Amino acid sequence: MISTSAPANKAVESNLVIGKKAKVPKSVKNTRRTSLIVSYILLVVLTIIWLYPILWIFLNSIRVEYNSSNQLIGIVVSHYFPKSIGLENFRRLFTETLFPRWFLNTLMVSSVSFVLSTLLTLSVAYVMSKLKFSARKKFLSIAIILGLFPGFMSMIAIYYILKALQLTQTLFALILVYSAGAGLGFYVAKGFFDIIPNSLLESARLDGATNSQIFVKIILPLSKPIIIYTALLAFIGPWMDFIFARVILGETNRELHTVAVGLYYMIYGERVDSNVFTMFTAGCVVVAVPIVTLFLSMQRYYIEGVTAGAVKG
Amino acid sequence: MSQISERKNEKSSETSRFLSFFKNLGIKTKNAFLKFGNRFKDGSIGTKLSHFIMGSGNLYHKQIAKGLIYLALQIAFLFIFITSPEVNSTPLGFKSIINFITLGTEEGDIFNPTDNSMLMLLFGVIVFGLIGLFLAAYSSNIKSSYKADLDKRKGKKPTSFKQDIESLLDERFHIAMLTPAIIGILIFTILPTIFMILIAFTNFDSQHPAGQVLFDWVGLKNFADIFSGTGEISVRFGPVLGWTLIWAFFATSTNYIGGILLALLINKKGIKLKKLWRTVFILTIALPQFISLLAMRNLLSEYGPINAMLLELGITDAPISFLSNAESAWTARITIIVINIWIGVPYTMLMTSGILMNVPTELYEAAQIDGATKRQAFFNITIPYILFITTPYLITSFIGNITSFNVIYLLTGGGPGVPGYKAGETDLLVTWLYKLTIDESEYNIGSVIAILTFIITASATLISYRRSKSFKEEDAFQ
Amino acid sequence: MKKLLLLMALAMVVLFTAAGCGGKTPLTIWVGSESEAFYTAKMEEYKALYLETTGEEFPHEIAVKGVDTGTAASTFLDDTEAGADIFTAAHDNLGKLIAGSSSVAPVQSQALLDQIQADNPASFLEVIKGTVNGTEYTFGIPYIAQSLVLYYNKAFITETQAQTWEGILEAAVDNNKQALSLAGTDGFNNSFILLATEAETGDTSLKLYENGVQENCFGTGDDTIAKLKWGQNFFNHPNGAKAPTDSGWEVELKDEISISFIGGAWHYSAAKAALGDDLGITILPTFTIDETEAYGDAVTGTVYQSGTFADTKAFFMKKGSAYQEYLEDILLFLTSKDVQEESFEQVQNLPAYKNAADEFAAFQEDTLDAQLAAAQVRMFEFGIPQPFGFSSKFNTYYYSKGAPELILEILKNPNGNLTTHEAILAQMQKVESLWKTGLQPQ
Repeated sequence: MISTSAPANKAVESNLVIGKKAKVPKSVKNTRRTSLIVSYILLVVLTIIWLYPILWIFLNSIRVEYNSSNQLIGIVVSHYFPKSIGLENFRRLFTETLFPRWFLNTLMVSSVSFVLSTLLTLSVAYVMSKLKFSARKKFLSIAIILGLFPGFMSMIAIYYILKALQLTQTLFALILVYSAGAGLGFYVAKGFFDIIPNSLLESARLDGATNSQIFVKIILPLSKPIIIYTALLAFIGPWMDFIFARVILGETNRELHTVAVGLYYMIYGERVDSNVFTMFTAGCVVVAVPIVTLFLSMQRYYIEGVTAGAVKG
Repeated sequence: MSQISERKNEKSSETSRFLSFFKNLGIKTKNAFLKFGNRFKDGSIGTKLSHFIMGSGNLYHKQIAKGLIYLALQIAFLFIFITSPEVNSTPLGFKSIINFITLGTEEGDIFNPTDNSMLMLLFGVIVFGLIGLFLAAYSSNIKSSYKADLDKRKGKKPTSFKQDIESLLDERFHIAMLTPAIIGILIFTILPTIFMILIAFTNFDSQHPAGQVLFDWVGLKNFADIFSGTGEISVRFGPVLGWTLIWAFFATSTNYIGGILLALLINKKGIKLKKLWRTVFILTIALPQFISLLAMRNLLSEYGPINAMLLELGITDAPISFLSNAESAWTARITIIVINIWIGVPYTMLMTSGILMNVPTELYEAAQIDGATKRQAFFNITIPYILFITTPYLITSFIGNITSFNVIYLLTGGGPGVPGYKAGETDLLVTWLYKLTIDESEYNIGSVIAILTFIITASATLISYRRSKSFKEEDAFQ
Repeated sequence: MKKLLLLMALAMVVLFTAAGCGGKTPLTIWVGSESEAFYTAKMEEYKALYLETTGEEFPHEIAVKGVDTGTAASTFLDDTEAGADIFTAAHDNLGKLIAGSSSVAPVQSQALLDQIQADNPASFLEVIKGTVNGTEYTFGIPYIAQSLVLYYNKAFITETQAQTWEGILEAAVDNNKQALSLAGTDGFNNSFILLATEAETGDTSLKLYENGVQENCFGTGDDTIAKLKWGQNFFNHPNGAKAPTDSGWEVELKDEISISFIGGAWHYSAAKAALGDDLGITILPTFTIDETEAYGDAVTGTVYQSGTFADTKAFFMKKGSAYQEYLEDILLFLTSKDVQEESFEQVQNLPAYKNAADEFAAFQEDTLDAQLAAAQVRMFEFGIPQPFGFSSKFNTYYYSKGAPELILEILKNPNGNLTTHEAILAQMQKVESLWKTGLQPQ
């Protein structure tokens, strides 16, 4: 129904440019120009609104101001643009905290868990979309129901289950938790697979291909966008989660923290020193740069994934 | 389109399936027992033996690997079940079943530990799960041996281990594919969810800390408390639920409308640098929320730049508290909904952009032949198409917003506070749940709220799937 | 489908079988994050000492880890088995730590009991004991003291003005600033009004869980009403105290929106960052009741000294620790006078030591650090330890059931309906009920 492979912008142009060849009267041309100008102004205003908070974080990370007793002002301040800038916050972040360690932890966890999650998600999605078996419908409805329970209560149980498995307070436990639920998040990918015509599979089957061969040789090569979309989300999850990771890793095991947990404990707590705020923002910037880069470079696939998800939701 | 219509049938049949489930259950059980007896009578000596020692049937049929797996399963299960090894000083085995009923009996004193009722409850659930799985393995063991019997009788060779593995890659490929996922879901989703539901029927709260004071089953008392008494839950449930629904409605609709408008704006004919504009908004999605929302909170604070601007422009004459210190609950609530636009609109925008790129060209061609103007094409094709395509998304998004946590937790923490209660003016059911369980250790109340939240989201799902026009008129656009 | 279940069963069994035995964890000590390095070094010293006295290496590995001391007790209780063998917590957590059959072990060695008895101020000795199954034990070993002090901007407030709230208000009026910022709305931050005592006699009618009895709460005395009325006037004066904002007190101090702030030692670094050389530190000021505030026994002209919660952080031992036999000896060392003094010199932990101001040389120096310590120590004369450690309920009733919000409402008086003494009294009756029962009166 949706030609997911259509090159993005071309399609838009061809769709919206209807009657291009017809002669356009001058007055219409003028209105069109005004409307374009208004659109540009609107876009610029919106861009400012959207970038304003993000820029604030960045500016804070390079704010290096000293007070009269020559102490670094690391607290939140009310002025938006720093009076003097430098890299002191980054230096402190990397030398005085365990941030480098947290960064590597997160990289490790997300690298492993994105592979596992992607495999799980895709395999469930494929089975649900293309294979017929007795328990299929049951599985579908159970998956819908399970997705509706709020997760916090189960956190305690998960903690002790991991503990019964002798796994709490390890990064492996975190990987398990991030990947284990992936089987339930198959909707988007299923929506994508649904679009792949069944006839393709039938003919392969007639040629004697097994189901596993069909999956590996036919489905996967066609599914680059959805694989990337799934992998991208799974990769980014561990960089953003500060709730599950906190419970599983424990506050005191600082050397095991992920960036989100480490940064969280830097500023949230009853007895924390609020003079580390600029250092915290430096941490945020270091975290944000790789994620944002990744996201932007994978933009096209992300959009396709989101669209597939919406349509089949 | 075949998949979609099939999907529709799936939905409508779900309820009837549910009803017939119980009817069938009785018949199924009866049949199962009959089958069980027949197999025992009819089977070979190996199959008969399989009823007592798992895998013996397979060994009898020289299916060595398979037989050994079954045997190992039985030994491992019985070993754990009988020895009940202690995890966190709490036995995990047959003793767990007794503990599950009593939830602990040993009171403990200053030198001796109290039974950990919470772990006993959890381990009880785990052991029931293990028993269930063991029984499944047991029945499969008999079935497998009996199948080999039948194969032999037909003159065929019983399937070899290699054949079994091969079948997993083809006709039973779904088993190979689903097993890892189901194990994960079973351990990390189903088990914890059952545990959570059970907590609602106990008095596990801050006055009964696990391992220090025993707690016990209390039946439906926690649910009854909603309708009577002056406790937190009875007084605050209504208001919190009300606000949760209001929030979910506005958060969904503002993001939906805003996202579509933004997408139309960016994808408007003649706008250059489309990719750049989209990139700006993608930044919000890519940035962890605990970072961007913290920035938002500071920028909106009393002496932050936004208040400074309002003062400068003469719109206000004193700094306004927008969030947790706001004078009125609605100031904070409206602020949150507005900030949520910042968070959520880019997502809908991207989705709509994706859809816009994919509006079937035939639709436009048809319109062009009919002599429609560009404007007419836009209002009669583009817009309805987007709305049609995204209706299911609206539903999931509404449910997602009911259980959305980050925005409230990071912006206001539920504040402004309501004297006397944990749940503040902007607390949603989930943030309230979080406070009650993680901050206050009122696990039983938290669990009741979780169940009620589930009932609400589940009914929303059910109703919307039933009523949703786009599901009923699935083929309208084809 | 059966096959599928079979494989699942296999995996589950394997997983749970693997859950047999785990490695041994080292002897773990949780201290405040800020002093992790200090105590790590101290434990090395302890090991050396152990070798010296016994002639043997200390037989176990020791791990010192940092934790937020405000939430350490909860962190410990979340999973006691994974909790530290020795951990630090504010004394008022004792109630939940010893609920039921207790999660912490009592002190039993006479040497440690003697050291606790000899070194600590009397007020601390009361709050580190608790009753389990009808027997009273000592559980906490105090090693850090903390109270609230006044941080002020010397550019606006003179040293004399800083002694009274009237003086600070005067400075605020002269410079058109606000007199005071607060860190939060909770029951801890309003203690400067609620816990104020009559300057001359030290009297107050306020009772909070006196002798650990739940019913022993009294917040409706004439003097309490008069103090709150004073507080209301202080908060409603255009240049008076500010209610907490989302911006935070740091910004308010730095931007000179307000000129003073009530805070603890953990606010010191940020306060210094905000004010630089202008930072002054002193004890909390006094205030005088005027005729509009006087009520009953609290007559016009009575001077009250602002109060504080004067708390201690104590070490606790995990019940059933595998290293129980070593813990008390370690604690004897960690809470000794010498280590406390060093911890003050190196990481500015205020010693929980009787007459610390006179005993320790470091207090006599004329540094800001020493001033902070001296001010905190002096505040102990005007403070009480948070009396919530007797039962796990008290903390919740005092902090979490909405009483602080009700008191804040009196102070801010947003709707103008709490102006009269009678209205304040009525509101305080609700507060009192919350303290006693956790419930508002019907």
